[in-house]
Amino acid sequence: MASNKPVIVRFYRFQNRLRDKTAGLAPGNVSISPEALEKAEKALSKMSEDYPDWVSGLIVKLQEQHGRCVDSPELRNDCFEAINHIAHDMKGQGGTFGYPLITNFADTLYGFTDTRSDDEITDRQIELVKSHLDAMRAVIRGRVSGGGGEIGKSLTVSLNKAIEAFESSNS
Amino acid sequence: MADYDFDRLNVLLVEDSHFIRSLILNSLKLLGVGNVFTVEHGGEAIHFMKRVKEEPMKIGVQQIDLVISNWDMHPVDGMMFLRWIRRHKDSPDRFVPFVMITSYTEPHRVMEAREMGVTDILAKPFTISNIAEKLVAIIERPRQFVHTAEFFGPDRRRRKTEFRDVDRRVLNDKSEGVEIIRG
Repeated sequence: MASNKPVIVRFYRFQNRLRDKTAGLAPGNVSISPEALEKAEKALSKMSEDYPDWVSGLIVKLQEQHGRCVDSPELRNDCFEAINHIAHDMKGQGGTFGYPLITNFADTLYGFTDTRSDDEITDRQIELVKSHLDAMRAVIRGRVSGGGGEIGKSLTVSLNKAIEAFESSNS
Repeated sequence: MADYDFDRLNVLLVEDSHFIRSLILNSLKLLGVGNVFTVEHGGEAIHFMKRVKEEPMKIGVQQIDLVISNWDMHPVDGMMFLRWIRRHKDSPDRFVPFVMITSYTEPHRVMEAREMGVTDILAKPFTISNIAEKLVAIIERPRQFVHTAEFFGPDRRRRKTEFRDVDRRVLNDKSEGVEIIRG
């Protein structure tokens, strides 16, 4: 570069190494084989079958944390952090495996357990954790997938009532 | 029509949820991806990438072709890892395609990732087809990298559409102050 003018923008344009590596010298259009795609989709639905067991494991963990909250109030902040973490793990996945209700319930659980370390955690908050646990357990026990029809609706309604009661007691 | 052969592809998968990790791992394997390395959070990912640079023979990979990383992880999240990849002097490849997996799809979050130089975003919940589409897009439609005082990453203008509005780009390839690096 002979010019002393300052460079304002640099554009980097590279040879498409990734295409060379995956499409080789094949001219024209390249695709992912439909068979491979179908096989992968099948594997995903197979994994979805394991999903309720996996969630049950997480619900047990939530239950342990809830028990600790009740027994040892001084540990509540730590427990809430753990619960918040598990809830986050759950909320991103329910929809993928056909259990959007788990995602919804995990989402509100995640929302109200996102507390600061010096916040005081009340008994009512602990109760609300319990309501969420019960709702999730009911979803998994009944294998309530999708919107869940009437059962799903009534679970959502009763959980929302618990949330409202909590919020009005707080305001 | 020929099929892609992903057998020589090296992918780094960064995901803290065991369930999602094995799901994506299996999906990639079934699509034929040859090597998938998995780590649990951004800190481990940085450590892994450093080793790719320093002792490739030992870990058995010379170069990572694609990073797929979750956003929200502890203690080091996907954004911090992306920042390291794009900006840190120890990064072995500042241009590596980087796909962020996230359930945060609010526009400001997507924008935040874009400004940090993300290549693409995979929204949760996703399907195998979504993963396959991202792979194909990265292979078939790579974008030039742009480096300015404020930004380093894949060109944020993806499409070569005709502008209905005035094209606000002041510089073109021939402008003074523009340097083009080919490789």
